[in-house]
Amino acid sequence: MSGGGQLKAEHSKRGAESGRKRKKRVGFFVDLTPMVDINFLLLTFFMFTTTLAEPQIMEMRVPPEMKAEIKVKQSLLFTIYVRNDNKIFYALGMGDPIPTTIDKIRPMAEKYNVAEGAKNELITALKIDKKANYGLVVNILDELNVSEAYITKEISKGKDADGNAMLRERRFTIADITADERIKLYGGAVPAPTGGGNK
Amino acid sequence: MAKVKKKRVGFVIDMTPMVDILFLLLIFFMFTAKFKSEADSAQKFQIKRPQTTADTTKIPDTDLAIIKIAISKAGNDTSYHYEVVDFDTRKQIWTQCQEKISPDSLFTAMGGPKPQINIGKDLVALNLLIKNSRLVRPNMKFAIDADKGLEWKWVYNAQEQLRLNYATTFNYVTDKKGS
Repeated sequence: MSGGGQLKAEHSKRGAESGRKRKKRVGFFVDLTPMVDINFLLLTFFMFTTTLAEPQIMEMRVPPEMKAEIKVKQSLLFTIYVRNDNKIFYALGMGDPIPTTIDKIRPMAEKYNVAEGAKNELITALKIDKKANYGLVVNILDELNVSEAYITKEISKGKDADGNAMLRERRFTIADITADERIKLYGGAVPAPTGGGNK
Repeated sequence: MAKVKKKRVGFVIDMTPMVDILFLLLIFFMFTAKFKSEADSAQKFQIKRPQTTADTTKIPDTDLAIIKIAISKAGNDTSYHYEVVDFDTRKQIWTQCQEKISPDSLFTAMGGPKPQINIGKDLVALNLLIKNSRLVRPNMKFAIDADKGLEWKWVYNAQEQLRLNYATTFNYVTDKKGS
């Protein structure tokens, strides 16, 4: 640090020359002011540029080929629909969609995923209208992710053939709403399906 | 006779404890500081990310391509923005795309690659960028950073382009709930 850190004797030489009783030198002072200045400057700089709230990420997997049809047991299907007016519905198997709310998704996912015969077999499908809100979709995915903690815990209580704890195999898919489902979901007033374009 | 009282010209404050605390704070902020990327400081829109439960997964630092979907302030029009984090990778990808995408939107006047490019609503350009990103960096990670107010179709169309390029695992950028 240039300029700073000058050593200052407690008493100047003049005091000794004038014949006054010389005080015993017990220490010395370092002028800390310039260092404090610099410190404050740096501190303010880093405080303002730092970002404590880092964005986080949510992993998403989609099947590579949507055209391939996979046959699944109807009873092992748990579907969540998001309508264009951001209303949420759910259906079990091929049943009719039942209106629900976001805070009911987690208890439902936990209940159906640990039910007897459905462990690691139940397929959760999320079907979203193109006009639905993206934030809501992420919130639903978040609820499902949170429910995984409980499901994994419950499933690990079971033992596999070798006596080891069972592992959770998640079965989840995002799909389009089919024409039949649209009729069920919207009742009489079925909006025309929006195509792939952004128009 | 008493000694002549010395005129008091000032007083001394012991600054040592203050300096201790200052150093402590300084070191803390120096180590936690993460600077805004050049793309972030140049971008003209702000993304309100959806909020999710606190998680430990952080956005990767390298080999990352971000598809940003935002409602731009000017014109209130939604558009796609493509950003590649590493400078060299970005330069290679942009160079490979310049036949199909106008070089003006890819490079600055100085000839350097722009950190973030605006491709408007052009899904063909997005597809091309993703394809070349995967050619240049086979283990490129993709993230979709979209505004929470958007309609699902915008995100859906972007992830369809990823899926067509066999990038079936990608990430949604979110914010911690309550932050």
